[in-house]
Amino acid sequence: MSNVIIPANLWEEDLEGAVSIWFFEEGDNVSEGDTLCEIMVEKSTFEVEAPAAGVLRILVQVEVPVKKGDAIAHIG
Amino acid sequence: MTAKKRKITIAKAMAEAIAHEMRADPGVLVMGEDIAALGGVFGNTRGLLDEFGSERVRDTPISETAFIGAAVGMAAAGMKPVVELMFVDFFGVCMDAIYNLAAKQSYFSGGNVTCPMVLMTSVGGGYGDAGQHSQTLFATFGHLPGLKVVIPSNAYDAKGMMIAAIRDPNPVVFMFHKALQGMGWLGTVQSSVVDVPDEAFEIELGKAAVVRAGRDITIAGLGHTVHLAMDAARELAKAGVEAEVIDLRSVAPIDRATILASVSRTRAFLSVDDDYMSYGVGAELVATVAEAVALKARPQRISYPDIPVPFAPEMEHAVLPSADKIIAAVQSILGEK
Repeated sequence: MSNVIIPANLWEEDLEGAVSIWFFEEGDNVSEGDTLCEIMVEKSTFEVEAPAAGVLRILVQVEVPVKKGDAIAHIG
Repeated sequence: MTAKKRKITIAKAMAEAIAHEMRADPGVLVMGEDIAALGGVFGNTRGLLDEFGSERVRDTPISETAFIGAAVGMAAAGMKPVVELMFVDFFGVCMDAIYNLAAKQSYFSGGNVTCPMVLMTSVGGGYGDAGQHSQTLFATFGHLPGLKVVIPSNAYDAKGMMIAAIRDPNPVVFMFHKALQGMGWLGTVQSSVVDVPDEAFEIELGKAAVVRAGRDITIAGLGHTVHLAMDAARELAKAGVEAEVIDLRSVAPIDRATILASVSRTRAFLSVDDDYMSYGVGAELVATVAEAVALKARPQRISYPDIPVPFAPEMEHAVLPSADKIIAAVQSILGEK
């Protein structure tokens, strides 16, 4: 089981963002390095990759505010 | 265990399609405002500058008159420009190149000089950008002979239609709706983000798609309103009304055969679009249906009222099409049969 954490250096400054799109659904198989979702911060988009292979469990739905360091999914 | 997916946005699907054609054909190039270094304000040219360089992926000055005119000339000379008009609302300063030159080139030269250009342009509102950045203008372009005018509702169609558009010897106006682009700040319709093959494929331009089968009524939409129609159809099904939903995908040519085949069975019709109502897509569809099919109830159209798009969100959303308006219209149509 790995947590999908928003990297501390994904964007500059201490701004809140929100997941704009999940590219996989709950329970989907993902591979390490897959782009799992996009996070919108102001008007810029940042991608979050899968840290490991496995079955995706989404913890944060779209349009919910997130910060760097937050766990947004599990891969098990 | 489910099969591995590759869901992408319309923006990425467009960029993939253009990249594929640029690899296959050295005559394909991209021009427009902020399409190179920024990757497009709507994300649809992201990555192209890095792969193909600034000769073939060219940021232009803010002069649509100049660079869209240049694209028409390049196409006449045998190149295949993909040129971006950032917002369709800006067409005023470049329309002579589009409708007097590009659209008529092949006709006026007896077919000797074609115009293999793609004009890609963003349409639609819903995010408070007011009257000069929120129009769709489907009918404005669809009305002019010589242009193909298309709009995808999802990423799969966007990729196949963009590849077909680049390969087409005719000028193609490739519209993309901002609400479907996968740019979070414009709002993202999740159902536009779908599984898309990695490899190149074409979707024939000018063909509508039946995206939901149903026996009671035909609802036709395009771009964003396809998703509203699908939302409405799912709600209506709970009350036992089965709506057939058609994604037009093309404004010009318009696929009358697919519409009429559906309406011949359902004998009830509603069109839904977010362009101005008068002389619009809905008017064309309702006329097409009324001329050919004995309907069981009077057809209706939902469109944008004949006013410039308001800035205030409360006012803009009050006049935009919605799933609730579609449900009410269907109930009204079927209630009077």
